[in-house]
Amino acid sequence: MKNYPIWKSFTVISLVLLGIIFAIPSIIYDENSENWFLKNKINLGLDLQGGSYLLLEVQLDVLYKEELDNFVDSVRLISRDQTVKIEKIDIKENEVVVFFSNKEKIKNIRDDFFQMYRGVTLQIISNKLSIQLNDEYRKIIQDSAIKQSLEIVRKRIDESGTKEPLIQRSGKKRILLQLPGVKDPERIKDLLGKTAKLTFHIVDSDSISALQNNLAPFGKIIVPDMYDENTKYLLDKRAVVGGENLVDAKGSFDQTEGHAVSFRFDTEGAQKFGKVTTNNIGKNLAVVLDGVVITAPRISSAITGGSGIITGNFNAQEASDLAVLLRAGALPAPLEIVEERSVGAGLGADSIAAGQIAAIIGMVLVCVFMILIYGTFGALANVSLIVNLFIIISLLGTIGATLTLPGIAGIVLTIGMAVDANVLIFERIKEESLKQTKVFQIVKNGFDRAMSTILDANITTLIAAVLLFAFGSGPIRGFSITLSLGVIASMFTALMLTNFLVYVYLSFANKKELKL
Amino acid sequence: MFGLNKIIPVEPNINFLGLRRNFLIFSILAMLISIVLLSIKGLNLGIDFKGGTLIEVSTKNTSIGELREILSSSYSDVSLQEFGNENIILIRLQNKSNQESIETVNSVKNLIQDKVVEFRRSEFVGPTISSELLFRGFQAVSFALIAILIYIWLRFEWQFGFGAVVALTHDVLFTLGLLSILNVEFSLATIAAILTIAGYSINDTVVIFDRVRENLRKYKKLELVDLFNLSVNNTLSRTIMTSLTTLLALVSLFIFGGEVIRPFALTMIIGVIIGTYSSVFIAVPTLLIFKFRPQDEDD
Repeated sequence: MKNYPIWKSFTVISLVLLGIIFAIPSIIYDENSENWFLKNKINLGLDLQGGSYLLLEVQLDVLYKEELDNFVDSVRLISRDQTVKIEKIDIKENEVVVFFSNKEKIKNIRDDFFQMYRGVTLQIISNKLSIQLNDEYRKIIQDSAIKQSLEIVRKRIDESGTKEPLIQRSGKKRILLQLPGVKDPERIKDLLGKTAKLTFHIVDSDSISALQNNLAPFGKIIVPDMYDENTKYLLDKRAVVGGENLVDAKGSFDQTEGHAVSFRFDTEGAQKFGKVTTNNIGKNLAVVLDGVVITAPRISSAITGGSGIITGNFNAQEASDLAVLLRAGALPAPLEIVEERSVGAGLGADSIAAGQIAAIIGMVLVCVFMILIYGTFGALANVSLIVNLFIIISLLGTIGATLTLPGIAGIVLTIGMAVDANVLIFERIKEESLKQTKVFQIVKNGFDRAMSTILDANITTLIAAVLLFAFGSGPIRGFSITLSLGVIASMFTALMLTNFLVYVYLSFANKKELKL
Repeated sequence: MFGLNKIIPVEPNINFLGLRRNFLIFSILAMLISIVLLSIKGLNLGIDFKGGTLIEVSTKNTSIGELREILSSSYSDVSLQEFGNENIILIRLQNKSNQESIETVNSVKNLIQDKVVEFRRSEFVGPTISSELLFRGFQAVSFALIAILIYIWLRFEWQFGFGAVVALTHDVLFTLGLLSILNVEFSLATIAAILTIAGYSINDTVVIFDRVRENLRKYKKLELVDLFNLSVNNTLSRTIMTSLTTLLALVSLFIFGGEVIRPFALTMIIGVIIGTYSSVFIAVPTLLIFKFRPQDEDD
């Protein structure tokens, strides 16, 4: 074939073949294939294969407030040691202000406090000590809370048996969860909806009046019963031992108590638990989960084995879920679901089917139109268009991109827009054919003249697509991916493949004149 | 070859700019009406931007009225709508807080459990997320417009950039106005459509501007109006062809692509038509404001 370098033919043909070959895995789409080649298939987004997307927000405000409470407790202890009387404590949004009866030892208190909480901002104004949560301190709390939450969420999701979940941090205080195949995320939401902070506290049965006035003295807390809000317990604020010392928890069944959760402590937990139960025989021990008392049995004998059971009015599912939560550990702060999108497999399959039909019909319409308008040249452009589609599919498969419903829309749109480059070229050829008669010169000029326009026109579309990717979320990103790949592929197919095909056609047809 | 393209003459000679005043008045009116509509009626914001809960169910032997009766006894702000066919129903609820909505989804599901074949999807977008999404949407659109303009400005003279801004603003406003009249749901996908329209419309404009620039070099003596007319005519068949193929694909998407994608397809169809119109009748005439002939300065 004259006028066309061999290396160029070779490049075009190999790229086209590669494009077609690597589209095969996505077209066959064998879901469970372990074959290295067939594994390079398109990932279907949650909106196409069905599944749940959850966005959780870590309730940091709760943590900041907790930290302020800790400040108050510590300041009380320190001032008791220093024998300074506290007149008043103001707890503000980010600050605790402590008013002392005299200002003599206030500096010592400040220094002692700073030993415990390095990084907080401390300020003395006459007899007042102000303790502030500054931005850096808050950031430390935030980062460790998110890290810990991610880990706990991952453990809980793994325990729930969800396959291939995606769990990642999103922004400053959010966790993004993608659960393919999970149609009804209620159980997952239940699992994530609890902080699962488990603590054991000694019940104080002596100060009945405190309970009646609903006013806890220093060092005590009032906690309601899990099943009856009106039943309240007065407990030592300090926990005997907590969930962090658990090494195992299981749902179990007890002949007399029904469904229960059996647990086992680590060595440290076992020692603490043993010591407390030995010293408090006759008192009640409250099991507190997320601020409510599950049960508060009487300690009849010392428990030194480091294991026990928690009973409550559980059914089998509740007992096993609680065991899951205890095994995974407590979340540092509650998680709030701020966004949820769940798609059933039925809708996903419908979307894929509808997308395929739209793509095929769109393709047929465009192809027929091109042939009607440009005849043989239109048919050549159609070959490019079909190869273009293969290339998009193979690129999606090999880079492991996710195809979403808007992504399918992007492909259909590309079918319509991809012929643009061909149209630009053909129109130029048409114009050139009026100016001269040498067939190959006409074609060459046509392609050369159209080149810069094609680049300009496609780059503007690419800019829009890239920004959409940067600012878009989830499924919309899928659209920007297919649109960008489509635009890039269409430039290749028009400038290289159509070019090649036109030369092949003209060589074999041995045209003496060209009238488009 | 049986190319129908011979119907369109290679060098058509249509006086597009002769009617520019009429089109200008039409477009200014359209933009003003759009602004008024957007500020009074506003857009039909979907849950992406308004927040709330959406549940899609397929039903059996149940009318939408029956479901409405069941749900409206418990919820005052519930709205139901058939989605594609009468067996598929969309249920929308407005919720104030995040916690409330989680409970809502559960209780709605319980109330209509026995009437439903399948819960096809449920979506919930909390108030903080919806306002963030709206903000990010506007961010994306504005950055894209700025980036496109910078590109045009780098590749062409600044006057062309101005023409492109006018055309783009026109397209976005006009499209939004039509979305408002037609009450098309405005969602994340619609933002994507608007951005794509911006890209498409600029693409169209660029092709014509390219030709204007080429002709400015070629025909140094030609009157500007005639030169612009010539450029539009030169590129006319391409403009028509590409718009038609794109519209063919989009109409196919609109008809066959399923209910979920329909608002996106409709927005794109509207945008492609407006974008094509504006490239010819708005972007090019805008260039007439400038008495420019860049080549003259070079000579």
